[in-house]
Amino acid sequence: MKHVFVTGIGVISAIGNNCEENLSHLQKGKTGIGKAIHLDSNYAKLFPFGEVKLSTSALKSNLNIAQKGLTRTDLLAFTAVQEAIQKANLTAQEISSENTAFISASTIGGMCLTDQLYQDANSISKSKEYVKSYSVSAHALKIAENYQLKGTIDVINTACSSSLNAIMMGTRLIKSGRATRAIVGGTDALGKFTINGFNALQILSKNPCKPFDKYRDGLTLGEGAAYLILESEEVVGKKNLYAEILGYGNSNDAFHPSSLSEEAFGVVAAMNKALKRATLSPQKINYINTHGTATENNDTTELTGIKKIFGNYPAFNSTKSYTGHTLAASGAIETVFSIFSLQQQELYPSLNFETPISPFNQLPILKYQQHQNINYVMTNSFGFAGNCSSLIIGKPL
Amino acid sequence: MYILDHRCISPQPTFNGCFFTGEVKINHGNLYYSIEPDYTDLIPKNLLRRMEKATRVGIGAGIPLLEKYPIIDGIILGTSTGGFSGCVEFLKQIVQYNEGTLTPTNFVQSTPNAVAGILALMSKNRGYNITHTNLGLSFEATLLDAMLLLEENEAKQLLVGAIEETSEYNYNIDSASDFFKEIAVPSTQLLQSNTKGSVRGEGAAMFVVSSKKDNALCELVDVAQFSFPQKNTIQEKVLQFLKKNNTPLAAIDALVLGYNGDNRFDFRYDELAEQFNDTSIFSYKNLIGDSPTANSFALWLSCSILEGKEIPKEVYYKETDKEIKSILIYNHYNNIQHSFILMRSV
Repeated sequence: MKHVFVTGIGVISAIGNNCEENLSHLQKGKTGIGKAIHLDSNYAKLFPFGEVKLSTSALKSNLNIAQKGLTRTDLLAFTAVQEAIQKANLTAQEISSENTAFISASTIGGMCLTDQLYQDANSISKSKEYVKSYSVSAHALKIAENYQLKGTIDVINTACSSSLNAIMMGTRLIKSGRATRAIVGGTDALGKFTINGFNALQILSKNPCKPFDKYRDGLTLGEGAAYLILESEEVVGKKNLYAEILGYGNSNDAFHPSSLSEEAFGVVAAMNKALKRATLSPQKINYINTHGTATENNDTTELTGIKKIFGNYPAFNSTKSYTGHTLAASGAIETVFSIFSLQQQELYPSLNFETPISPFNQLPILKYQQHQNINYVMTNSFGFAGNCSSLIIGKPL
Repeated sequence: MYILDHRCISPQPTFNGCFFTGEVKINHGNLYYSIEPDYTDLIPKNLLRRMEKATRVGIGAGIPLLEKYPIIDGIILGTSTGGFSGCVEFLKQIVQYNEGTLTPTNFVQSTPNAVAGILALMSKNRGYNITHTNLGLSFEATLLDAMLLLEENEAKQLLVGAIEETSEYNYNIDSASDFFKEIAVPSTQLLQSNTKGSVRGEGAAMFVVSSKKDNALCELVDVAQFSFPQKNTIQEKVLQFLKKNNTPLAAIDALVLGYNGDNRFDFRYDELAEQFNDTSIFSYKNLIGDSPTANSFALWLSCSILEGKEIPKEVYYKETDKEIKSILIYNHYNNIQHSFILMRSV
């Protein structure tokens, strides 16, 4: 099987508009969660959010793209894709090669324009600018057109695990020989649609989320995008290799439409498949970037699942305490953060943790720790409808 | 990859099999709605009551296959928007109650991955589970994904399929982007209308696919996709696709083409057809309407042709005497997303 390497990364989230800014916040233990300024929702006053610190028009003017009907979801995607491409030094010819795939993910798509969509759906809008912008695939079509992509294009929606599945799909296309490169990741902007949905489910916290804390009381929604450039060993040449994609697993928990089973069936199966694919024993994993949403259900289930597989818990954190839950973008954002840990050989503290959950009594990483020996990292993402995914990356040898 | 079985709910009587006894429904207007089966034996009543149409048709077509085949190693679905009407119902609540206290049912069900999740839940299937949502290539991605999984030996048999729902809401949005005919024609005249715009349909088509030939109905040889083609790309692309699969043009016995009566874009199908002599041509959007995953119906129809089923005359666009052992399916959505599927008899 061909080796698949990460040769470029791009990220925009509440803790920064590029990789350097995101890394700096993680090293300083500085969250991006706070009062939303750009978000148009009544809940902007009631709940904290992991909002990207740029207005939609600032995102647009930073990009210099001529296309019309661009939503915040699209602009976040463009920003992270552009950075990833620059970091991988991909030429225009390489980007628009038939052998370059683009696998993306989104759950809100253009529905971040909640009111505009309502008007268009009921034929009461004056403008037609956004009529082709609402679907979760709209950002991908715009990116495909802008970069003149000619390879396989796909968009995945498995709710909160979407972009981890996009990374998997891109890796598998390369391993099968159907592509030599893949641009993979996901994007989601904050919008009334998801905020009201999660609020209706009563899983939003009034305070910044407290992953793995006994007194956690829900998640904090965030927004952002992250993309990775994956390249086959045959074409990487002498490029800087950020990581190797070693293992991946996908399973359905088959328990409930919007919560995970107490037994952690899907969680365990996804992690097991990833370890098997990577041919690694659990003891080899140095750190887990957890899904860690800080809902009652998720954190207990994830700790149960990790215990079942690992026995002793490896170092773990939830970087959602920095960015909030960025939904379809979370798997890719957290994979980029995992790459930081591999590259820098350091671990970042999980924020807002005080009291461990019994009976697990597990403490996430609480301090910034440099000079660690980190070779293998696992990233987890679980979503509504039982969709569980797990990814393992390693230091390129 | 081999196809072992299928179920299809569409604007034609495809689920109960009457389609093959010549019963073809004539549709009027711009929206063709599914002929839904009696779900009594398929879905428990308490679940059915809360299901939106996209969920109902997806479960209705998928569950019989999951019950019939004890080994299904994963569920791979494609849809452009899933339960979009539920999604707009939730939007309506947001706007009307000014983000007040809302009920989450519409929100949870309207996520496009809900159907694959409910299928997994109802059949306790903990295998691979994914939903592809790349608009007009969502279904093609499910086929590619399934082919990869079978090659990787991660699965022996899989459920793949597509679901699509139409409603007044996507009608309003797609109208604003000039998708629909301004002057409606009955389905019998759709392909000859020579005006801009088309009609929209809905439904679900589900398939059990396997890496093994045993008990197969037909073979799905390969699938390919491309977006934003230049002029003349179709001719080049089809040659490239057939060459990759060691299939000369002359070996194709039939074409299943996505003609939808939109005079802006149907020329693509003519361009492709011009390259083939002596091939039968089938059309199907005159029966079921267009939708981003209409190609799942094309696959279902192609399976039925290769199985030797009695095909209604309404789907013959051009008839030849040639025995049909291989089929090329070509479809595009709004002339932006294009795909080929190559099928063979077993």
